Amino acid sequence: MNWLLKFLLKIKPNFEEGQKLHWLYPVYEATETILFSTDEKTSTAPHIRDSIDIKRVMILVVVTLIPCYIFGAINVGYQNAQAMGIVRSWIENLFYGGKVIIPIIAVTFIIGGFWELLFSIVRKHEISEGFLVTCALIPLTMPPSIPLWQLAIATTFGIVIGKEIFGGVGMNIFNPALTARAFIFFSYPSKISGDAVWLIGPDGYSGATALSVSASTKSADAVALLDGVTQFDYSWMNLVMGWIPGSIGETNKIIILIAAIALMIMRLISWRVILGAVSGLFAMSYIGMLIAPYSDNSMLSIPPHYHLVMGSFAFGITFMATEPVTGSHTDTGRLIYGFLIGVLTVIIRSINPAYPEGVMLAILLMNAFASLIDYFVVRANISNRMARYAR
Amino acid sequence: MPHINIKKGHNIRIAGKPADGVIDLNYSETVALLPTDFKGVKPKVMIKEGEEVKIGSPLFFDKKNPDIKWASPASGKIKNITFGPRRVLQKIEISSSKTPDYIEYKKYKKSEIINLKREEVLTTILDANIFPMFRQRPFNIIPDPQIIPRDIFVSAINTAPHSVDLESVIEKNIEKFQAGIDALNALSTGRVYLTSKSGSVVSSIENTEFYTISGPHPAGNIGIQIHHIAHIRPGDIIWAINAQDVIAIGNLFQNGIYDSNRVITLAGPCVQQPGHFRVSTGAQISSIIGKQLTEDEPRIISGDVLTGRVSGLDDYLSFYDYSINVISDNIKREFVGMLYPGSSKTRYSLTPVFLSLGKILFPFNAAQNGNHRAVVPINAWERVLPMDILPNELYRSILAEDIEEMEKLGLIECDDEDFALCSFACPSKTDVAGVIRSGLDMLQAEV
Repeated sequence: MNWLLKFLLKIKPNFEEGQKLHWLYPVYEATETILFSTDEKTSTAPHIRDSIDIKRVMILVVVTLIPCYIFGAINVGYQNAQAMGIVRSWIENLFYGGKVIIPIIAVTFIIGGFWELLFSIVRKHEISEGFLVTCALIPLTMPPSIPLWQLAIATTFGIVIGKEIFGGVGMNIFNPALTARAFIFFSYPSKISGDAVWLIGPDGYSGATALSVSASTKSADAVALLDGVTQFDYSWMNLVMGWIPGSIGETNKIIILIAAIALMIMRLISWRVILGAVSGLFAMSYIGMLIAPYSDNSMLSIPPHYHLVMGSFAFGITFMATEPVTGSHTDTGRLIYGFLIGVLTVIIRSINPAYPEGVMLAILLMNAFASLIDYFVVRANISNRMARYAR
Repeated sequence: MPHINIKKGHNIRIAGKPADGVIDLNYSETVALLPTDFKGVKPKVMIKEGEEVKIGSPLFFDKKNPDIKWASPASGKIKNITFGPRRVLQKIEISSSKTPDYIEYKKYKKSEIINLKREEVLTTILDANIFPMFRQRPFNIIPDPQIIPRDIFVSAINTAPHSVDLESVIEKNIEKFQAGIDALNALSTGRVYLTSKSGSVVSSIENTEFYTISGPHPAGNIGIQIHHIAHIRPGDIIWAINAQDVIAIGNLFQNGIYDSNRVITLAGPCVQQPGHFRVSTGAQISSIIGKQLTEDEPRIISGDVLTGRVSGLDDYLSFYDYSINVISDNIKREFVGMLYPGSSKTRYSLTPVFLSLGKILFPFNAAQNGNHRAVVPINAWERVLPMDILPNELYRSILAEDIEEMEKLGLIECDDEDFALCSFACPSKTDVAGVIRSGLDMLQAEV
């Protein structure tokens, strides 16, 4: 590949300061550093550096998302076959699903890449690898039936308002992928509010999601309601296995669990956020179960192990809540931040039947409060130190 | 005896580990003292070119504190005095004579040293012109001799990559070391703290508060040890001194001479036979390296790979450096490096993101392994900083130049060498240690 490197280095002067093509320098820089590892050397101590860089971090997160895509494609095909009342092999399901989700991925990356590039050129900074993760996450949070034009607008909103206006990756306040998802949630509620299932089926075909089933009847036991559904299999086991209608990437909890473990072993995400979120979810849903007998809200009777596998909770806390930039930056803060996400998810799901999917809103809300949590953790650290100094 | 176990940190597995056993190399034709090694000092030269000097003769003094003078590390003729811009003294080179000629001072008996008064010990050290061996915390500068320090810290454990095996050096000079420790006792009203590995010969040293330390780098850094044993409070002054310099002070009191030889390591992936060598302070680097280089484009570092500075063969060993490391400055660009999975043979990371092939030593080079990016806080810094400090918040307060906040976040307890591993591990390639240094400079200007 030496010829390619030589060619790249030969055309490099055209993009240098003062040359006509200088405005395209971010494009050149991205091409060069994606194709070849950087030739940058250390200038001061330490003279040696760890091999990990932001490119590697982002690529690894994208790699852990690939199984979600594959299962998502198969499930899209499977749900379609179920709705049409036909039987297909899993490979046919994969192809059918692939035909549905590849345009979704393509639109996200083209629109996302366009905005990233535009901002890099205007702001004169390098193209940041972070957009790869954002663009890889957005399709997974979308229903397969999403109109592509809505997706394009949502991606634009997520990248521009969620990230670029703050200065890019590392400076944003809200998770850009969730910002995109929230935009579509509030702008086109008829398509995505989450009370009816999302799948590609015959015209007029519809059904209720697991969460809306639990909210549908008053003063009932949620688990009994779920078991009573005949249209889909809403048993706990099947909610884990993910053969249910839903957003593309969030249904199979096993794949998400493996991805979470892999990311934790690689130390790219914080186990504290996940531990906090799961304990928050358990704590709040136990409280809900205690109140349930005195209330006609059947959502309160959902046991914690159901909450864990219903909706996008698992996907949200693994890939969205653990995003290091928008979450809390201190270890203690991460535990609190995660815990409150878990608590809020259950509260939003149970108390507000208009928004059956709570985890997205819970994470976005906690993104806003992450710095506040950090503020108190830092003050506590300072007052401990002051007490030590006074001794 | 109390034990401190440091959990956070990392021992970088870099190739070119120095062999045990010290080889004598104590003749360098030219030896130099570099006033630029001493931060915050205004040097004023005391000799002329062509003048004869002995080992221990004063070469220059600090205009801010004329009591502090610097001893000549070699005997012979002054070869060259170099001035930089605005006639700032840069370098004093000495043509070293083959037989060392020492200035002789008063000798003390072993039993006398422990009973000496502060004034006596201080005057002896100042008169021998070796006071700059002491470093003050906070700020890591030469202390004011007249201010009595709260405590004195001596570390007999080195954890930096390829650093000197202090234990064996002390073992060979145990009497001088004890004499040095006895002398230090007079200098402070507090304690003399000594740290070492557990089960070391150093534990037999008397008149100290002895602590054993275990754990990965930076457990051997004096700043980390002070933080865990008796942390610095605002207003505190603590003196620290290298264990080899304690031996030199002991030698001064026992034998009445300043022995400028020290044991250093020559190590790193690009050195043929890495090992321990006894050389003169300020020896020319080419005299130490000889024909040991295995690389056409070497980067020679005076100091360790985490904190040293780039040097050339014609440069000289810095006053505070006990190590010379050589790494390759020639880096190869990998095709689709960002996608290539990589194994521990080709890539080194303290986060387990590459396929590990056992604990092999890794031939590091000067590659930055990535471009500078905004900080993405995945706890890379926190994992290698064994202090009760929030590095991310401290870093931001320094960028914001908020001096009050820096102080509250504990900057006074920090030194840039303790943050070198943070810079090493940072995926965004942020110069954390450099920012900490600039924060310390800001704070020092304020005090």
